[in-house]
Amino acid sequence: MGGDRVVVGAAAVHVPGIAPDRLIASATEPDCGPDEAHTLLGRKGLLFKEPAVRLAMCAVHRALGLPPGRPTGPAPGAAGTAVVVSSNLGNVATVCDIVEQVRAGGLRGVSPMQAPNASSNIIASSIAIRYGFTGPNLMVCSGSTGGLDAVRLGALLVRSGRAHRAVVVGAEPADEIAAGLRAAGGTPPGPPQGMAACVVLVPAGQPGPVRLHSVRRHRAPEPVPAGGPRTIRLACGTGDGPDQDLAALLGGGYGAAGVLQTALATRWLTDPATRPEGVEDAVEAVLTCGSTGDGFATARLCRDGDRT
Amino acid sequence: MRLAITGSAMRTSLGDTAETYQALLAGESGRQPLRYVAPDGVNVRHGYHVDAAGPERPYRASAWLAECVAAAAREAGLDCARQRVVVLVGTGLRELRAVERWRGDGQLADLDALHFGAAVRAALPGVEDVVTVSNACSASSHALALAADLLQLDEADAVLACGADAMTESMLAMIGRVGDESSDAVRPFDADRKGVLLGDGAVAVVLQRAPDDATVLLRGVGMSCDAYHETAPDPAGLRAAMDDAYRRAGLSPADVGLVLAHGTGTALNDPTEAGVLAGLFADARPGPLVTGIKGAIGHTSGSAGLMSLLVAVEALRHGQVPPVVGLRTPIPEAAPLPLVIGGPVGTDAGVAQVNAFGFGGVNAVCLVEVRHGR
Repeated sequence: MGGDRVVVGAAAVHVPGIAPDRLIASATEPDCGPDEAHTLLGRKGLLFKEPAVRLAMCAVHRALGLPPGRPTGPAPGAAGTAVVVSSNLGNVATVCDIVEQVRAGGLRGVSPMQAPNASSNIIASSIAIRYGFTGPNLMVCSGSTGGLDAVRLGALLVRSGRAHRAVVVGAEPADEIAAGLRAAGGTPPGPPQGMAACVVLVPAGQPGPVRLHSVRRHRAPEPVPAGGPRTIRLACGTGDGPDQDLAALLGGGYGAAGVLQTALATRWLTDPATRPEGVEDAVEAVLTCGSTGDGFATARLCRDGDRT
Repeated sequence: MRLAITGSAMRTSLGDTAETYQALLAGESGRQPLRYVAPDGVNVRHGYHVDAAGPERPYRASAWLAECVAAAAREAGLDCARQRVVVLVGTGLRELRAVERWRGDGQLADLDALHFGAAVRAALPGVEDVVTVSNACSASSHALALAADLLQLDEADAVLACGADAMTESMLAMIGRVGDESSDAVRPFDADRKGVLLGDGAVAVVLQRAPDDATVLLRGVGMSCDAYHETAPDPAGLRAAMDDAYRRAGLSPADVGLVLAHGTGTALNDPTEAGVLAGLFADARPGPLVTGIKGAIGHTSGSAGLMSLLVAVEALRHGQVPPVVGLRTPIPEAAPLPLVIGGPVGTDAGVAQVNAFGFGGVNAVCLVEVRHGR
């Protein structure tokens, strides 16, 4: 896609279980894990919510800049706000839990409260319900490219006029089932408590320091061109990146990786205080997520005013 | 920009598109005893299966999808080397059955095959851009909406909007758990309905900028989210998707002669949907004929929307609207609606509305036109 009519209005990452300044240098508090999500989201409404849903809500809450606690009404501008979420493993634990109970002869022990979690779109719909987002609601389960596929579809909804704003989220859990599936598939493990990130896409012309230039899909990793403007490059599945630790973290992002990359690049491009060691000032970012099996997606972001 | 459906294919428990349509006209049902899963364990005894009797085939939704994608692309004459082709696959259940069998039966799991990229790329060499959208029971209709947007913004020359679903043990369990008694058949809008049953299948539709001689036009797809409840539908959200579709199409409810309802045979969907349709067509009495496919092929989850769309196209093309299989006595909320009961009804309508609503309150409504060349 060409996305030059869309800017990133806000961005947040939520990766518990790692040093808080590892991704955002100015961060001082560790991100709360899924079991402590109530400290940010309030207690009500979290029962039966899976870890990936909780992490995703934390990322949205922070991207919207909301005070801690359950919203008492729809978030500002909620009507007509689209939600696009990427996650591959968000509900696999519930699916397996239900099957295990059934096979043990315990259908009656399965709670009807689990029913919505058997549907893969539970993260996207839960965010819409909590924050009152009535715009188009999409759940992307597209493998390693899913994060940037979600960014692309969020931009599409804004550019087509279907939404005045798109809340784009990537989230993956770190439960035993998710970890087992990753291991079986040869996909790198993610951070110990899972991860989430959120970017808010709005039409160009509204406040937003970083423009989404393009997102496109391709079969193989592409060589990095020499020269050109100062560029932040984040890649996963290709061994590329500013340092090996970060590359490993992004490589384990799976369906969340593309949104995490977009959120990090947005923060780093615009606020020097957020840049960890090794990340230099730059005017644009080139983000690649994917795998040999799924193929790759690449997004380009430009700091507004630096390049047209 | 006018958009046309230039190729399509589907696979249901009743066969391909033509076979399914003929069976619907005859009032037949694809219902069978439930396979692959112990019926007592999940409290569900019937399903609408695609595969013939035999052992359970792994990744079979991907196999049906691959057949449909290849057939639809062939009909449309797509050239993936020269055209920008994007494929959007809508699904409710992905290949989560493979996760269940990995955990429960020790079978190998292929993480890359839980979504449909690899299956589509194998069926359509040259295509790289495949996205799996897991939007519950309205997924394939959401895919069609996004397909229209990609063409309108000139980001593709052709988009395949698809659906693919094979039933999972976990979803069967939830159906068996929340129902009071085990449903014996899907009876949309019937006073004696006992709940939903699942169907297997896949569907693919090729959308392109309309050639001059196009006969099947996609007039518009509306989307909305209830932001209300995880499983219960909200009338305001359903209506919002319909209003969005009419606004995009530049049509009014009076222009529509046929409705393919979502009609799941559940306690909540049918009265809610009937009430919203009655309100939408209140000024268009007697209003369009209303039918639905789930009594005949089960609820095919994310594939259901586009399957309804292809049946609507067949009905408009041939001027014969199939009845709602399983419907005998309509619920009171459906009294204002001209439901098709018992046998086919003739029509000269040109435009149909196709409903699809999903868990989480995700709604998509399509308006499709068949031009008869008169």
